[in-house]
Amino acid sequence: MLHATSITHTFSGRTLFSGLDLEVRTGEVVAIRGPSGCGKSVLLRLLAGLDPLQSGTLTLDGKPFDHWGGPAWRAEVVWVPQGATVFEGVPEDLLARVGQLAQQQERPTRNPIALAEQMRLDPGVWTRPWAVLSGGERQRITLAIALSRSPRVLLLDEPTAALDEESTQAVEAVLAGQTAVWVTHDSAQCDRVANQVVRLG
Amino acid sequence: MSGPLPISATQLALAAALVGINGLLSLWLGLGLGKKLVIASLRAVVQLTILGLILVPVFAANHPGVVAVLVVFMLAIAGREAVGRTKRTTKTLPLAATAALLIGCGTTALLGSAAVIQVEPFWTPQYFIPLFGMLLGNSLTGLALGFDSALASLDEGRARIETLLGLGATWWEASRPVVADAVRTAMIPILNSMSAVGLVTIPGMMTGQILGGTEPGLASRYQILILFLIAASVALGAIVGTVIAVRALFDGQHRLRVERIIRRS
Repeated sequence: MLHATSITHTFSGRTLFSGLDLEVRTGEVVAIRGPSGCGKSVLLRLLAGLDPLQSGTLTLDGKPFDHWGGPAWRAEVVWVPQGATVFEGVPEDLLARVGQLAQQQERPTRNPIALAEQMRLDPGVWTRPWAVLSGGERQRITLAIALSRSPRVLLLDEPTAALDEESTQAVEAVLAGQTAVWVTHDSAQCDRVANQVVRLG
Repeated sequence: MSGPLPISATQLALAAALVGINGLLSLWLGLGLGKKLVIASLRAVVQLTILGLILVPVFAANHPGVVAVLVVFMLAIAGREAVGRTKRTTKTLPLAATAALLIGCGTTALLGSAAVIQVEPFWTPQYFIPLFGMLLGNSLTGLALGFDSALASLDEGRARIETLLGLGATWWEASRPVVADAVRTAMIPILNSMSAVGLVTIPGMMTGQILGGTEPGLASRYQILILFLIAASVALGAIVGTVIAVRALFDGQHRLRVERIIRRS
């Protein structure tokens, strides 16, 4: 479904990866492994089309990135950033804003509050200011919003890094069956979720 | 009502001595402003003297071409000034500023002159040049504040913007609140001066008119008009300027290119 072909990326004189090929099939999880600073997050940003490709091509369903156009591509291939971004106001505001995006109008949706509950978040978090939520709460809320828009591919940057064991299991259960590219440092998690492993660095 | 009393060079020198008080204070408190104060004072003297000298033949020529040349010159300077002291800048920011001032101040000055004051012809230099200058001066302050706000929001709020982009937002959907914030910030000085005017301050233009012998009632009506025109031009200029500046930080595929922001210390 999602193909990356001979991706090369150089950052301040250092080649992070060169001639990288990646194929993500429907329903599969591709895990990205490698030491810190080897370019795992960079690769996700490239797959999301948030940074321009220096060389190589990206296609979804055989159609190149430029034909999709940035916003249409990113509505299908949704990026969930590492760490926990603090937004203005409360999570409900972000949920409403995402629902109003032109690219999200025709998409099948799932209930984000139910998804968040499955990830052990009580419904009260949606009306609490972002600033008072913990890192793990913020990250799961963002993930629930992303999942609720039924993305074709999810790009996950260490989605359980801030979570305890039980919450990690809950997140993995919710993500079961979701096509994803998943950056993880945890080799046990990699064994549990990955159909394919790509090593960088 | 009498005309203005003449001011001689000796009287100006006396006024300059008052700036000397500032200089002494700066020395005493170690503000380190002495040099800046001297340069700023000299610039004011030189620039205003030249302005006085230029306006005499411009008023005498009373020709639309001459007015147009002066307007373009004023725009170019204002465009540079608006981006000269912002904390962050971009390569295209001076262009965004000039376009914003042209649209914001140009439209407002045209409307103000032709439709509101009903000057015949609308470009009559005695009205158009001071009006345009007044709008430019206020707009460039507002614009600088707006640019600072917008560029800071995009630079520091990159994660928020990119999370939305990552969900399929267009550059405009992701940055609309950034533009709204910037325009709000740009409007603060003019909103403040509209609320405080008359209670706290007699504005410079009205002071000038009264000293120049205009009846205070008419001077206040001119001042009200000018304030409204300024408010309109600041708002219009800030919207146009920030939209252009923000758009320039995204590429054709709606990627936020923060590397285009140049931080100044």
